[in-house]
Amino acid sequence: MKILVPLKRVCDPDNANKVKVSGDGKAVTSEGLEWKPNPFDEYAVEAALRLNENAAKNEKLGEIVVCSIGVADVAQTIRQALAMGADRGILVTADDGALESTVVARALKALVEKEKPDLVLMGKQTVDGDSNAVGQMLAEMLGWPMATFVASISTSDGGKSLNVKREVDMGVVTLKVTTPAVVTVDLRIVSPEAVKNGATPDSHKYNEGPRYASLKGIMQAKKKKIDQLELPALGSDATPATTYPRFELPPARSGSCTFVESVDALVDKLKNQAKAF
Amino acid sequence: MADFTLDEDQQQIQDTMRKFANKQLRTVARQCDENYELPREVLDRAWELGFCPNAIPEKYGGYEMGRSVLNTAIMVEELAYGDASLAMGALCPALMMMPILEFGTEEQKAEWLPKFCGERFYPATAAVMEPRINFDVFKLRTTVERSGDTLILNGEKCMVPMAGQANEILVYATNAKGGGPQSVEAIIVDRDTPGMRIGERTKYMGLNSLPLFPVVLDECVVPLSRRLGGERGISFSRVINLGRALLSAMAVGLSRASYEYALQYAREREAFGEPIASRQAIAFMLAESAMEIDGMRLLAWRAAWRLERNEDATRDATLAKMYCSEQTMKIVDYGVQILGGHGYIREHPAEMWFRNGRAFAALEGLAIG
Repeated sequence: MKILVPLKRVCDPDNANKVKVSGDGKAVTSEGLEWKPNPFDEYAVEAALRLNENAAKNEKLGEIVVCSIGVADVAQTIRQALAMGADRGILVTADDGALESTVVARALKALVEKEKPDLVLMGKQTVDGDSNAVGQMLAEMLGWPMATFVASISTSDGGKSLNVKREVDMGVVTLKVTTPAVVTVDLRIVSPEAVKNGATPDSHKYNEGPRYASLKGIMQAKKKKIDQLELPALGSDATPATTYPRFELPPARSGSCTFVESVDALVDKLKNQAKAF
Repeated sequence: MADFTLDEDQQQIQDTMRKFANKQLRTVARQCDENYELPREVLDRAWELGFCPNAIPEKYGGYEMGRSVLNTAIMVEELAYGDASLAMGALCPALMMMPILEFGTEEQKAEWLPKFCGERFYPATAAVMEPRINFDVFKLRTTVERSGDTLILNGEKCMVPMAGQANEILVYATNAKGGGPQSVEAIIVDRDTPGMRIGERTKYMGLNSLPLFPVVLDECVVPLSRRLGGERGISFSRVINLGRALLSAMAVGLSRASYEYALQYAREREAFGEPIASRQAIAFMLAESAMEIDGMRLLAWRAAWRLERNEDATRDATLAKMYCSEQTMKIVDYGVQILGGHGYIREHPAEMWFRNGRAFAALEGLAIG
């Protein structure tokens, strides 16, 4: 199966509290913060690797192409995925600041038409903007089936159709999706038995989490190809559909906490003091 | 003249090792410390990162991508940041692999190096230290004598990591009693060789998951072909300098672990209405730790850089080892002190790092490189 995995780099999510609003309120700045691959995208890379290998025989079954849109430095994020085991990269150079979901989805559509993958496997959302929109938009633009928040994938026909489980508020939804399709993944897709591809024995237990780039992987990644394109060359419309007039931080919380004696006292305070209802 | 920027490969190596250390070592460190265990699955998972085959040329089964002492220093700092004790266990096979790679004859490389390229952890180690009060690593008393086509080993070794599990032990011995480093040879000895006896696991203060053993050699006879490097022999100073440089880097990692934990604690723990980090008595300890850690790293990197250039690194490696060992003791002590009573109880890792950190000034000649 040929899988396209879009990646985005984000500011180190462990230091999200250091994100600041610029002096003029026009932008969110992340100066001094390290870039990391979006965690959900890393999970997508891991899921793609599991789908496209026989882990027992250490064999590869298909091609995994990773792509990203952003400044030249984004190549490093792509190389991290190549070091994990993806085969090839595509970097679409563009100003990160001017990207929003619609622009990204249009660019990905153009890439999909060029690459013709059987599956687009991506993170359910990025942890910076948290929009959770690109996967859905892309599926709509392509007219492809879509499954979001996927926590497990299995296939028994070499990827022609996928049985996926989606975690939703009410429980787990099981769907059968025919490919080509867009699948966005959730955290649990990297649990030990979340991906079954019919080639790796079902009894195989993966290690929890995305795999580490081994030293071999890191060195091999240097030899793997990363095609470079410019956003306009894709021919997709790069005009953002949304504009952000102004950013401001939420007011600081007072942080006070009072203990109440009973439920009645709580209801009373919520009603009369906090005016919650 | 100097550049302290890590290149992209080094950043990736650091990133991978840091993730591994945080997720696979730090999480089990306490349990392994309490139970004196070095779990095979931790060793196998660390092995998958590939630090042995990465150094070994393709013709011996590795995928040599340029061996670099500096990269190794970056790697071991991160592993020790996760847990020094487990990291030393995971790196133990390199004690035998690296000298073979550096000094082995063509036949020896062809025979031994492929063993370090398999999918599972290959247990091997080296025996350097000797149990006596005036031990000097450059004046070994374990002897090796040639007798026809064989070598005869006699003497006592101590603190040999994982000797109980190792398939082979690389024994360092002098061919002229009391001779300097030029007289030292390295002999590959199979675990079951008659005349070699591995004693009871030594009891010690920290590094509890790393088993250390005494090894006695009593008229232990091995074929002449087991002399590393053949007639050319080895450079024992280089072995020791590699060990010193990389132990220094590990001391940096452990110190950083202790410092970062104490820093976080001091920012959260409030006393007299403010975080204790804003009180000078605490802030000075933290600032001093931060300064020393950076200084230690620079010394360790310089020694590694010198070794990478194949220059004599005796001065750099010794300064690094000495300084890093001393500062580590201070930093892990601060780590306990900043946590106060919490630093002394086993619910926080500070006391474990204190015990582990004390080892660097005591261990010598553990050549991981």
